Amino acid sequence: MSVQPVTFLSRAERILGTDEAAAVDRGMRLMTAMREAAVDEFPIAKELRDRTRAIRLHALAHLDRLIAKFADQVAEAGGRVHFAGDADEANRIVAEILEDTGSELVVKAKSMVSEEIELNAHLEASGVEVVETDLGEFIIQLAGDTPSHIIAPVLHMTKESIGALFAEKLGVEETADPVRLNQIARDHLREIFLRADAGISGVNLAVAESGSIVVVTNEGNGRLTTTAPRVHIALMGMERIVSRWEDAAVVLEVLARSATGQRLSVYTNVITGPRRPGDPDGPDELHVVILDNGRSDILAGDTAEILACIRCGACLNVCPVFRTVGGHAYGTVYSGPMGSIVTPGLQGMEPWWELPYASTLCGACEEVCPVGIQIPSMLLKLRERAASEGRLPGWLEKGMSRYARTAEDAGRWARAKRWASALSAPLSSRGWIRRAPGPARGWTQHRDLPRPAKESFGDWWRDNREP
Amino acid sequence: MTGGGTIVNRDQFLSRVSSAVMASDAPPPPIVAERLPDLDPVDHLAMFRLRAQTVDAVVHGPVTRHGVPRAIIGIAAGHECETFASWDDLPVSGIPTALTVAGLTRVGHVVPSDGRKAHQMEYAGLDLGVTGSVAGLAESGSVVLTHGPGKARMVSLSPEVHVVLLEVANIDRTLAFWAARHPEMTRQTANLVIVTGPSRTGDIELELNLGVHGPRHVHVILIR
Ligand code: SF4
Repeated sequence: MSVQPVTFLSRAERILGTDEAAAVDRGMRLMTAMREAAVDEFPIAKELRDRTRAIRLHALAHLDRLIAKFADQVAEAGGRVHFAGDADEANRIVAEILEDTGSELVVKAKSMVSEEIELNAHLEASGVEVVETDLGEFIIQLAGDTPSHIIAPVLHMTKESIGALFAEKLGVEETADPVRLNQIARDHLREIFLRADAGISGVNLAVAESGSIVVVTNEGNGRLTTTAPRVHIALMGMERIVSRWEDAAVVLEVLARSATGQRLSVYTNVITGPRRPGDPDGPDELHVVILDNGRSDILAGDTAEILACIRCGACLNVCPVFRTVGGHAYGTVYSGPMGSIVTPGLQGMEPWWELPYASTLCGACEEVCPVGIQIPSMLLKLRERAASEGRLPGWLEKGMSRYARTAEDAGRWARAKRWASALSAPLSSRGWIRRAPGPARGWTQHRDLPRPAKESFGDWWRDNREP
Repeated sequence: MTGGGTIVNRDQFLSRVSSAVMASDAPPPPIVAERLPDLDPVDHLAMFRLRAQTVDAVVHGPVTRHGVPRAIIGIAAGHECETFASWDDLPVSGIPTALTVAGLTRVGHVVPSDGRKAHQMEYAGLDLGVTGSVAGLAESGSVVLTHGPGKARMVSLSPEVHVVLLEVANIDRTLAFWAARHPEMTRQTANLVIVTGPSRTGDIELELNLGVHGPRHVHVILIR
């Protein structure tokens, strides 16, 4: 997706009060309810989350060794590994593979990394036809839009608008029936899958010990993309790795429950090298592109823990800011609380320094995170960094100096955080802070809360921007 | 800070990661037991049946080996299937013959490297696919498929209806427990897939829709 160098505030303002905001809010409520039902049901759910944290942090502590081992094992299984230092290099590597293999039609399964490096634009410029196959991403691609949520990319579109889009772009009869819309997409895409020369997927997890990559989907497009075409190219962020298959299995269980409230996703697809002699089908070539693109900078810095993220999206769903403005306001592929840490880390503070301020620091994200990532304290570190570089959003200077002081002072923050975590239970059930006690009281009084969620945030936003 | 120099080779890439690991202030991993904790035993068969139904799979049996072909023919008739593909490597012999005798047409499942697209097109309108499985997972109602000679990936992916045979003795509790018991499994096959019900999407207004890319119907035949 394209990077939009517009302020968070102006993007948010465009979205507030529109159908898009309403659709996102509706979606978030549903997703949170589905998730809550599944997360704690399993008798050892908490143990599995603790293990997931241990597995992910262990991987970060040994990342160099694990990547080396993984690369050796992929090669041993007959695949090829490519190392990409940055986005340009990754794009070039993919373009070269496609050229070398004579690939003209390429199918893609949803991959955040490919959006991070803006692969589609790059490939289309070089004359390759790229078709997104995840239903949501396919719709986004037809509409020329950008995804609004990492798990549900078309959260911001209604079925009526999708029906109108299909009618316009695919020449089918207009319908708002999701079953029909589904069938239209299935028929259209199936033929493309079977004709495609290459498939590009992301990687949810990689297993160092066996050189396996895991691609998780519910629709099956991840399987078709990695099975039907002759060439499979897998793009992975270098931190997606775990040590052993048993570890991956634990993380996969936790990921499914936390992302969508499923006990497992429909297709957990574990790929170890290209097809082997005697295999009746599968790709002849497997290429794995391992991407740094700023991740080693994050790892070396004080927000390293965010690399343990398993991209479940749970922190987005509970975030009052995300719920109110949706993913587009963040202007980047990684949105919500997680994205507000990842994006400035990957792409530098400029122009993303204000994203860490797009948070109420209520603590709901940290409480819900299955890996126990300390999101608010990292947002605070980034705010400190922005402030030390003399950058403070105008809307903060205007009306929120007291809040800003709390946010920038580690001691005050520790106290505020204790209050915030006391608040997070009612927050996740009702979706908004009604009244904040303690250090945050000044803030709620200033902002004239409580009020209905969308309105209050919108008013708050408008009241506090520069006159 | 990014976008500086390019890192063209493995050594440079890894040395950059090594320096980052050294400098990192990521919290130390919490200490956890090597083994997964013990769970209170449950009836794996009963739980599998319940949870598979929760994800919209249909569970049949347990039947004896002899009963399997008849069960598959019944499912094929119920969905008005005309074409089928089948693994050669199934726990019960004679299934392709029985389906052919019942009037279905078999679609080949070997996709040679030459002319692969033409062969794959045969799959486009496939009605029924019959596969085995190496395990069932009770907690999630899943089946685990490994692929290899005689076991094509597309047979469980392309058709409208996927029939999977599962031996009751192979039902484990969850993926994590099964993987811990089979740590070598991912090395042994180029492709292992855990299937949990039919293909689904909630992308359009989060409304559940089955069969968006993969099979719309999954039938599990339990074998005693
Ligand atoms: S930070 Fe935690 S809750 Fe948010 S996406 Fe990552 S793993 Fe999920």
